[in-house]
Amino acid sequence: MFGKLYKWIDSRTGIQESLEEALYENIPGGSKWRYVSGSMLVFAFMTQAITGIFLWMNYSPGSQNAWASVYYITYNLEGGSLLRGIHHVMAQAMVCLLPIHILQVVIEKAYVKPREFNWWLGLVLMKITLALGLTGYLLPWDQKGYWATKVATELAALPPVIGGYLQKIVVGGQEYGHFTLTRFFALHAGVLPGLLVGFLVLHLAMFRKHGITSHSSEKRADQMFWPMQVLKDGIACALLFALVVYVAIIHPAELGPPAEPTEPYGAARPEWYFLFLFQMLKYFDGSMGWNNEFVGAIVFPAVLFGFMFLMPFIARIKIGHALNVLIIALTVGGAGYLTYEAVQEDNYNLNNPDDIDSAAYKKAAKFHAEVKRADTEFRLIDELVKDYGIPLEGPLALQQKDPYTMGLRLFRRQCASCHAYNATGENEYLAIAGPEIPATAEGPMGAPDLYGFGSPDWIKGLLSTGENGIEGAKYFGNTSHSEGEMIAHVRDTMWAEAESDEAKQNLVKMIEDVAWALSAEARLPYLDYAGNQDKIQAGIGHLNDDVLGCVGCHNYKENEFGYVFTLDNYASSEWLTTMIADPNQIYSEDLGTSNDRMPAFHSDATKLLTEDEIELLVRFLRQDRTLLGTASPEVNPLVDDASEQENTEEAAESTEENSEEDSDSEASESTDESSDEADEATDESSEEDSQESDAATR
Amino acid sequence: MSDTTNSSGGESRRGFFGSFSAWLAALVGAVLGVGPVCVGLYSFIMDPLREKTRPRKSRAEGSADANGFYRVASSDEISTDKPRRFTIVADKLDAWNFIENQALGAVYLQKNENGDISCFHTTCPHAGCSVAYEQDSNAYHCPCHNSSFKLDGSKLDVGGSTNPSPRPLDKLDVKVDDDNNVYIRYVDYYTGKHDKIEK
Repeated sequence: MFGKLYKWIDSRTGIQESLEEALYENIPGGSKWRYVSGSMLVFAFMTQAITGIFLWMNYSPGSQNAWASVYYITYNLEGGSLLRGIHHVMAQAMVCLLPIHILQVVIEKAYVKPREFNWWLGLVLMKITLALGLTGYLLPWDQKGYWATKVATELAALPPVIGGYLQKIVVGGQEYGHFTLTRFFALHAGVLPGLLVGFLVLHLAMFRKHGITSHSSEKRADQMFWPMQVLKDGIACALLFALVVYVAIIHPAELGPPAEPTEPYGAARPEWYFLFLFQMLKYFDGSMGWNNEFVGAIVFPAVLFGFMFLMPFIARIKIGHALNVLIIALTVGGAGYLTYEAVQEDNYNLNNPDDIDSAAYKKAAKFHAEVKRADTEFRLIDELVKDYGIPLEGPLALQQKDPYTMGLRLFRRQCASCHAYNATGENEYLAIAGPEIPATAEGPMGAPDLYGFGSPDWIKGLLSTGENGIEGAKYFGNTSHSEGEMIAHVRDTMWAEAESDEAKQNLVKMIEDVAWALSAEARLPYLDYAGNQDKIQAGIGHLNDDVLGCVGCHNYKENEFGYVFTLDNYASSEWLTTMIADPNQIYSEDLGTSNDRMPAFHSDATKLLTEDEIELLVRFLRQDRTLLGTASPEVNPLVDDASEQENTEEAAESTEENSEEDSDSEASESTDESSDEADEATDESSEEDSQESDAATR
Repeated sequence: MSDTTNSSGGESRRGFFGSFSAWLAALVGAVLGVGPVCVGLYSFIMDPLREKTRPRKSRAEGSADANGFYRVASSDEISTDKPRRFTIVADKLDAWNFIENQALGAVYLQKNENGDISCFHTTCPHAGCSVAYEQDSNAYHCPCHNSSFKLDGSKLDVGGSTNPSPRPLDKLDVKVDDDNNVYIRYVDYYTGKHDKIEK
């Protein structure tokens, strides 16, 4: 039955003859394991073509869509992580197989007469493969691919005269953008694979014409390509595929944070197989006049390539072949060494943990810090995408509204030269180290660690002594406050007077209550105020009765005898907004230890930060991740509001004034509020909260 | 077996599948050819069939209520003398994008004498073109294959031409709340079938 069917198909198609033509190739000396490298490269390319086409079905070039679609492929698409993983790992396997294949051809002398053309075709195939790697690296449009590829295309501008034009043609214009991606994608998925297939057909045709290169000294009998060599090739390819799938599952292809032209990425490195070129450029530093970047990036590789092109002719002279083998071995070895060196340089800090003060250590440490920063940014955008999806404007639009992403960037840029943000626990990934604080007060400043600012824990520390308390680096550090009245009061009055253990325990309890009462002023969205009403109410009592001596200096509610800043609304969003915009509006001018040196970031005189940026920072410091443009959640720290009534009335009045000034939509709300204020105290204070955050948005 | 190629090979031809190695080589080759394709086909086939979830913090007012109703209009906007076209607007999940306030589709709404509101899907049940109300004939007409419908949705025969629609226009459920908000349970039906079957 099958025999008949086969005969019928064969008689109409000639399939038998074609197969025999293709597979009955004589192999002098018989099949060998070492002949598999070429077939493995073909198989690797075939896998890339297939997985690439399926990736193509989900990929969208363009600066808003590229990252978003690769994110979808990697984290949402059914089987997408494996698909992209195989494509990613097989690309690297292909680059590993290339030098093996080349070395084999050179060592076995398969490049010499009469196989010159096949050798040249192989060189072209190598270039195409590397170009596929280079173009593919950009397509996810993440920070890593973007900045690494940017360096590569900057190099295109190096050749004299044509350089500038060349670069514009490659990039698709002056700047990176849609056209860079559409061009790279068309090259990566269309032009280069098409060329590769074309040259591969010629390469294989030449191979068939001249046959496999064998050495007559071998005594084994000849074999046909089918079936033994096919089986060996197949087994080798199957092992390769299994290995690639395994690696793709164990180490799925990474995706970095989305490409951002204005947010440089300090850990930009090319894909590892281009690291040797990256490393080599460091030596072409112009120190000897001729050895500039142009020579390193273009002339030197071109000379090497030219040499490889001429190798079949060089082999004709007596020691030519030996010279060729030597140079190729040196090239491969040199590339390997440069790669090793590049990796060592980046890991210097890990390998030499004691050499902290060296430039190499600092450079490597900075590299690792940048990698960590990129990981944090990716984690943040990942959460944003899961929460909100990606808007049409692309992932950057989402990031720019996110208090965590932007808060971290702004804090690093504007705050971290004095303040630390030593986040712990589940927020540890957000931590920013502050400046190093020297042993003496002279030197750079260490201002308070702002992680958890306004929380009961933070305030408890401020009211405690010792290294973890007000005397330590976490609070006043080396600012002038470290010798001010606050520290003197906490250390020399509050704690000094509590001599007995019982008095100390009592003080700890009172501090706990007061810390909660003060934190209630901050109305932080992440705290459980409802569950700590006892402490808050007790703390308010302590403060009003001035048990700890706070209101001797600070105003608080009705206690208006103080001469330094009021504790009302302490660490609330409007308090923080004012503090960042113009700290001298918070600090009293009357006291020597008032504002040490914090600059105004948005006053009449200075505009270091925009209002939006301050809003983002404030939300970040309050661990409030509500996106910019959306009202923060209402926090009402006092469940039973009776004692707050008078205070809220005042607040309601003041917000009403604000609303009129701003002529905003809340004007109607606050009118309602003032009419109802007598009987609806609880509702009022929550509305007041929302207005505060709205006010901050403005 | 034909013996056309040069036969300098050391082993004799025993036919194409003449040895165990040959079968094994064919098997390995087939697996290799199919392996990467399977990985890709799995994504290609399974992903569209998968239930997609909206972002965790997507707003409630951007999607249908628990019963599938969308707010489309206020009942004051709907007239009694002729049907009016309304667009269903909601937040849309489109692959990696989540886009607020997108048009999902359109319906025709009309009130009868009693103030009851009728709602018709604008998609023609024949082949999925979009029907339009035409004032001259006071009927719905499809621009593609001559399907026409009366204002109550039933099929209309126009002057001798055929009407290929397999069923009347698709009627949708309507709900009006105390504040005159009109809600539609907006669903798509398979076209070309005699019965209304939800997609």
